[in-house]
Amino acid sequence: MGKGYPTIAFYPEKCNGCNDCVEACAQIKTETSEPVHSRISVAKDPDDEFYGLSLCRQCGDPRCVMDCPARALTKNEDTGVVHWDETKCVNCQICTLACPYAGITYNRITDQVMKCDLCNGDPACVKACAPMALEYKIGAEIYNTWGDLEDLFVPGVGACLGCNSELIMRHTLRRIGPNTVVATPPGCIPGVGSVGVNGITSTKTPVFHPLLTNTASMLAGVKRYYNRIGRDVTMLALAGDGGAADVGFQSLSGAAERGEQMIFVCVDNEGYMNTGVQRSSTTPYGAWTTTTPVGEALQGKTRDAKPLPLLMVLHSCEYVATAALPFMEDFYMKLDKAIEASKRGMAFIHIFSPCPTGWRFDPSQLIEVARKGVETNMVPLWEYENDLGRINITHVVNEPLPVVTYLKSIGKYRHLSDEQLVYIQRKTDERFELLKKFTKESKLEGLSDAA
Amino acid sequence: MRQQARKPFDKSKIPQDLCPIATELSELKTGDWRAERPVVDRDKCVKCATCWLYCPTQCVEEKPTWFEAGLEICKGCGVCAQECPHQAIAMVEEVEE
Repeated sequence: MGKGYPTIAFYPEKCNGCNDCVEACAQIKTETSEPVHSRISVAKDPDDEFYGLSLCRQCGDPRCVMDCPARALTKNEDTGVVHWDETKCVNCQICTLACPYAGITYNRITDQVMKCDLCNGDPACVKACAPMALEYKIGAEIYNTWGDLEDLFVPGVGACLGCNSELIMRHTLRRIGPNTVVATPPGCIPGVGSVGVNGITSTKTPVFHPLLTNTASMLAGVKRYYNRIGRDVTMLALAGDGGAADVGFQSLSGAAERGEQMIFVCVDNEGYMNTGVQRSSTTPYGAWTTTTPVGEALQGKTRDAKPLPLLMVLHSCEYVATAALPFMEDFYMKLDKAIEASKRGMAFIHIFSPCPTGWRFDPSQLIEVARKGVETNMVPLWEYENDLGRINITHVVNEPLPVVTYLKSIGKYRHLSDEQLVYIQRKTDERFELLKKFTKESKLEGLSDAA
Repeated sequence: MRQQARKPFDKSKIPQDLCPIATELSELKTGDWRAERPVVDRDKCVKCATCWLYCPTQCVEEKPTWFEAGLEICKGCGVCAQECPHQAIAMVEEVEE
């Protein structure tokens, strides 16, 4: 296997043309803020709606490297950076014509070409960009570390297009590894064929299908058997919100209270998607489902979602975290900690899992919808470590978007009235304030504040 | 690819009075569900692996200078095209030649 490389992404709709990136680049490369020395620039024609970016992309197969007659440009296979060697350059400037992105430019002051080198993996322009129109994407690090490992599910499973559950189960089990017993109670994950029928399965590790009610207690029993015979095997539950928050809750709560050693992953798609989109206790207020319809009498669900991850914190689990897959580095970090914590007791990860089929949005928007959920603070990302005794917010949203930007992207919220939108915004703010109380030194202190 | 999984159980060695145990892996090829196919512009791909990271089927394969979806499995959901930070992937309708 080769390698993936970090890259700088640009979101034109966020760029306000302030040129802070340009100054930051010039500053770090030449210690002056002269734009002429900047490797990055943004510009737009008066008719254009958005700014465009001129910046080296560190192409996979760079035209500038191909066209350089002096071999002064080379692609570094380790870092992915296209490196310019001043000593070999003959100043012909062919590279500036070869590059379709204006990523290598001629500097009339130094009389040389110049290009971005990603600042050794810590780009100054990205840090300087206040509206966050530039993002340094390091997902390639996950690919480089884990991408070479066999996916522990077969390539094709019967999940819908753009299924977040499929994405979750593949990443989770690849990271946790084959020395694992997987339990998947009724829901989408066995529904797509992970357990299988008639002697045919889609999972390459031992897997079984508990009842919706007893996932955690069955896994606890399997784990205790392995402990007794002296084998170190990881227990993993891949349950939906029904199998964790509704009818599965009593066995989960019991196992958490007893400190059973397992990783319990709740794939929260906010309803019973596998059986035709019925409400669950984690379906949010206002959401349409087939059992909370929209009509004259009802306008979606009338009750608020159960805050399952906070309930698990109050069980003093070894580790509790919320996750959303747009923030994959955050999720992998939490998996690392969950694996360690599951050697001592219960590790619970609650994953926000938008469902294109049941929530009524285009499958291609899967990651974008989940990202908006986090950026509106509807789904704060945090973790709780029992020995620290408090919650740590792992992805701080400095300026949360209004919840309506998230809600309007999803069909199940299309009917919401202005009053309902106001209510959801208020509830979201209140819940976040409550969460912040748990970030204090002791969760019990936070609670007495809340009371 | 580093193999992780052990081989499934040998069917002939499973006692008849045991509960049902799977001994074969499913070979579902989901590529024939696809209505649109992701097509990668190799010039634009920078190998950032974003498509691999977010592909629900994890069918994205690494090539020498680009990444692309394995069409035997790709269901055509379009997540990769939406998430590609350099707009290097276009969704193209599948039509009979």
